[in-house]
Amino acid sequence: MPRTFDATDLSRRTILALPLGLAAAASGARAAEPKRGGTMVMIVHPEPSTLAHYAVSAGNIPPIATQVYEGLCTYDWDQNPQPNLAKSWEVAPDGKTITFKLQDGVTFHNGKPFTSADVQYSFMEILKKYNPIAPVMLAELVAVDTPDPMTAVLRLANPAPYIMKALSGRDLPILCRSVFEGTDVLQNPSANKPIGTGPFKFASWERGQFVRLDRNESYWKPGLPYLNRIVARFIPDAATRSAAMEAGEAHFAGYSAVNYADLARMKTNPILDLTTKGYEMTPAQSVLELNGRHPHLQKKEVRQAIAYAIDRKVILKDVMFGYGQPATGPLSRKFKTAGLYTDDVRQYDVPDRLDIANRLLDEAGAPRGADGTRFALHLEVNSFGEQWLRQAEYLKQALAGVGIAVTLRSEDTATWLRRVYTNYDYDLNEPFLSQGVDPVYGLNKQFLTSQIRKGVTFVNDTFYSNPEVDRMLGEGAREPDAEKRAALYKKVQQILAEDSPMIWLIDVQYVSVFNRRLKDHTTGPLGTQQAFERAWMDK
Amino acid sequence: MRLARFLGYRLLLSIPVVLGIVVLNFFLIHLAPGDAASVLAGESGAASPEYMEQLRHKFGLDQPLATQFGVYLLNMLHLDLGYSFRNDSPVGSLIVDRLWPTGLLMLTAFAAALVIGTLLGLVAATGRNSWRDALISLVSLVAYATPGFWLGLMMIVVFAIRLGWLPTSGYDTVGADNEGWDEVWDVGRHLVMPAVALALFYLAVYARVMRASVLEQVGMDYVTTARAKGQTEARVMTGHVLRNALLPVVTMAGVQAGNLIGGSIVVETVFGWPGVGTLAFNALQSRDLNLLLGIFFVSACLVVAINLAVDLVYVCLDPRLEL
Amino acid sequence: MRTALARFARNRLALAGAMVLLGLVALVALTPLLYPGDPFGLVGPALQPPGGQFLLGTDTLGRDVAAEIAYGARTSLIIGLSATGAAILLGTLIGGLAGYYRGGVEVALMRLTEFFQTIPAFVLAILIVAILSPSLSSEVVAIVAVSWPGIARLVRGEFVALGGREFVLACDGLGAGDARIVFRHMLPNCTAAIIAVGTLLIGTAILIEAGLAFLGLGDPNVMSWGLIISSGRAVLRSAWWICTFPGLAILLTVLAINLVGDGLNEVLNPRLRER
Repeated sequence: MPRTFDATDLSRRTILALPLGLAAAASGARAAEPKRGGTMVMIVHPEPSTLAHYAVSAGNIPPIATQVYEGLCTYDWDQNPQPNLAKSWEVAPDGKTITFKLQDGVTFHNGKPFTSADVQYSFMEILKKYNPIAPVMLAELVAVDTPDPMTAVLRLANPAPYIMKALSGRDLPILCRSVFEGTDVLQNPSANKPIGTGPFKFASWERGQFVRLDRNESYWKPGLPYLNRIVARFIPDAATRSAAMEAGEAHFAGYSAVNYADLARMKTNPILDLTTKGYEMTPAQSVLELNGRHPHLQKKEVRQAIAYAIDRKVILKDVMFGYGQPATGPLSRKFKTAGLYTDDVRQYDVPDRLDIANRLLDEAGAPRGADGTRFALHLEVNSFGEQWLRQAEYLKQALAGVGIAVTLRSEDTATWLRRVYTNYDYDLNEPFLSQGVDPVYGLNKQFLTSQIRKGVTFVNDTFYSNPEVDRMLGEGAREPDAEKRAALYKKVQQILAEDSPMIWLIDVQYVSVFNRRLKDHTTGPLGTQQAFERAWMDK
Repeated sequence: MRLARFLGYRLLLSIPVVLGIVVLNFFLIHLAPGDAASVLAGESGAASPEYMEQLRHKFGLDQPLATQFGVYLLNMLHLDLGYSFRNDSPVGSLIVDRLWPTGLLMLTAFAAALVIGTLLGLVAATGRNSWRDALISLVSLVAYATPGFWLGLMMIVVFAIRLGWLPTSGYDTVGADNEGWDEVWDVGRHLVMPAVALALFYLAVYARVMRASVLEQVGMDYVTTARAKGQTEARVMTGHVLRNALLPVVTMAGVQAGNLIGGSIVVETVFGWPGVGTLAFNALQSRDLNLLLGIFFVSACLVVAINLAVDLVYVCLDPRLEL
Repeated sequence: MRTALARFARNRLALAGAMVLLGLVALVALTPLLYPGDPFGLVGPALQPPGGQFLLGTDTLGRDVAAEIAYGARTSLIIGLSATGAAILLGTLIGGLAGYYRGGVEVALMRLTEFFQTIPAFVLAILIVAILSPSLSSEVVAIVAVSWPGIARLVRGEFVALGGREFVLACDGLGAGDARIVFRHMLPNCTAAIIAVGTLLIGTAILIEAGLAFLGLGDPNVMSWGLIISSGRAVLRSAWWICTFPGLAILLTVLAINLVGDGLNEVLNPRLRER
């Protein structure tokens, strides 16, 4: 059965996803009229090192880059793809071909027309070669055919159902072929002066201060964007960022640029408001990794005992200030919408967990010594922020409760990454893992035997190796049937929760703080990481 | 004539000094574990070995250390400070962009601290053990002992949030595009709090050193002699004591001046001031060695120049000293 | 000796400073009795304001702020004293040698001093801590590395100035040995300046430690005032007590040290006695 999508397919769900104005017209409800004009100041933290998010997948680049670059699709609140640069598409019955009909009348900011040649070049010459998520997301991509300037055909070696989730401007942006052709992609000057098709044009970047983006007067969506200008401001100190929002100097702070600790105060501020929406496709988890080669940690009982010893609710309350949820397994709850998450796994958050933990450790041959200590471990503290030290301090206390003496090691990013991912010189590690738009991204990197790669960061460093899991993850990547896929991943989650190669602590929830004068800023599950084309400032 | 020869001699001497500093810095920085590629890869959260290899090749990190050093030295001799791959910019332009805000902040704070601090020290010393001496000493000590970032945050809370008199952070109002005097006023308003936070710290140093130094001079024989000769107290002070008392102050000022670049990381961080200090800190954290070395080089030139100036001032103040 | 003490005691401010320091030392000694247990232990509900069971409140994880400050006192004092002592020794040695012997020795040593000065102080401290990995000892090394050039230049400046003085030339003419001249005549004349700068240095050392912890480079296993301040930074606006009390502790300690230093200066410096 070919699965097609057409712009005329206006289901009820789609109507709800349309801009406020149109939806109001469709349902006859009253809605505010967007006002044209104004400058929106948004806080981006930390300052990106480059705007070339086609080659670097740090989370702080897309809020800026996606104003300039667009993707073939955007996504509605059900995480279904919606037309953007692609007007419509058709997936072949065998799942190995996806034909996109492209939007006409689109030009890049340099005046060049957007054609299928740009799609081909972007996917094959830039993204497939340089994009960090491409080795997973575009693994099956063999070629992009361009039968005519408004048609692009992706040809795959095997079905890859997850590709349809990754077509946003955030994950696979469309770049201008003529800008990159014949140049060294990684050295191209447009890296920091991006040229795209998006609603805002790059104007200037004052390092250490801000990036300025001006309205694209010839944007292909009529009447959009409403804002004259977007300024992305960089403020290194957390308290100062909060102050800027409270003083009304900045209108939007996404991706938790404002610390969790300040959110309660933001809520009571009459000019501000919060939302947790816009992060549904940005799942991330805070985890505790256990070095599988350590003599104690290679025993499953010890790992499970550690999982029992930790009270995730304390971390949620005192470190995340209530934002997020205790994790139950390797997949974040955000995958519920896609039907891939299950909590039907071994539960570690039970009332008698400390007794179970102590018993497991005794049985595993690690009895308490005279001073109550069983053995000692080092915990590598995540260097990317103050709150991770708080979490590490709690973990140290929690493990002390079951007789494991933990010494914290707090080093800067370069040293930390080298120690853990190159030298494997660690016992416990507390990284922060992004899970991407599909389990194929997050799970494979952490749990496939083939992902034990010395020197590569944030991949399998626990030495977890389970042939059954390897097999199921491989099958899951290629399974086009949604139900079969869900069943495979459910089994994987159950096995992993049982084996406990790492402890999944929190399903992270990012928060956006915004000035009430700013409207329509979060229009889909990609939130701050998609264009603010419909955003407008009220007076 | 002596002066010209002295200057020529010192300038000639400073070239190998600066070069030596560059060499030592290069190897010192390389002692820090980790490299720029792994940091960038780590931050991007999705690194494949091919990606890291590309990065290493782009940054020139796959060359042996000696080669990297040779390349760097060669560039230095052409006054080319290299390229910051992480920021996709030549190092020179990154530093120059930050020099003006840094200079503005540091010089303002420095000048205010020096002038006010020295005056306070003098006032305290002449009224020794009186209430004004105690008050000045206490106030300057409190200014010194207060952690800079705490002071900065409190000022933001009081003056920017509660009272709304001053902006919270930054160099100027973004998106305002001010010209001429409007821009001066705007930057001035942004400068007030960070400059005060920074100046208060240095103020105490100068006040104390000046006070101790004046007291020491005043107890010396030549002062007793001058008084015995019937000179007024004011003349004794200005004519004799001041010149000698300023010597340690000048030394201290010279030392502090070495911190003109990069000395204000904490204040810059709290107030979001786009200075070289945070540039250096970020460069170190991300192992952007070209940038860090470039900053060290500029700082080195500055300190050598300032030490030279300090030595010249010494000679002016104390004619017994020979060049 | 007794007259010196008496003279010291007459200076009320110095006396007050000494009292505070004695109190601090007493606190450090009595800490295990007053606050038994681990200061890192989670003993109460998080973010409790001061008062009631927890005199100075609790922090973000529910630790007793008062206990943290008590244990932190020991760390701050150790770092302050050891780093300053080493910096003074090193700086005086190098500056003295340079200022006394002049010539090639001076040139070489002053260039060495310049090297350490050219790297922005705090950046050098961070670099050293990065190379050595954050710990108490690497913090001390970093502070020493940053502080000794100031002392060295000061001592050298004083020695150069003193070297031209009549009494030194006279001693030299009389055939006094180098050591004698330096230790009996030149160094004592420098003590006022050295003590003035040295006492400030202890405070600086404590402040640098706080700064390093603020930037996340402190030793996470040892309780220190800087660590408390950095942990309270995120909640400064809502839980003011976490940053304020250790900030006050630093303030009082540095203040006290300096007042005592002033008092010592007046007692030790013979020329100040007459007035």
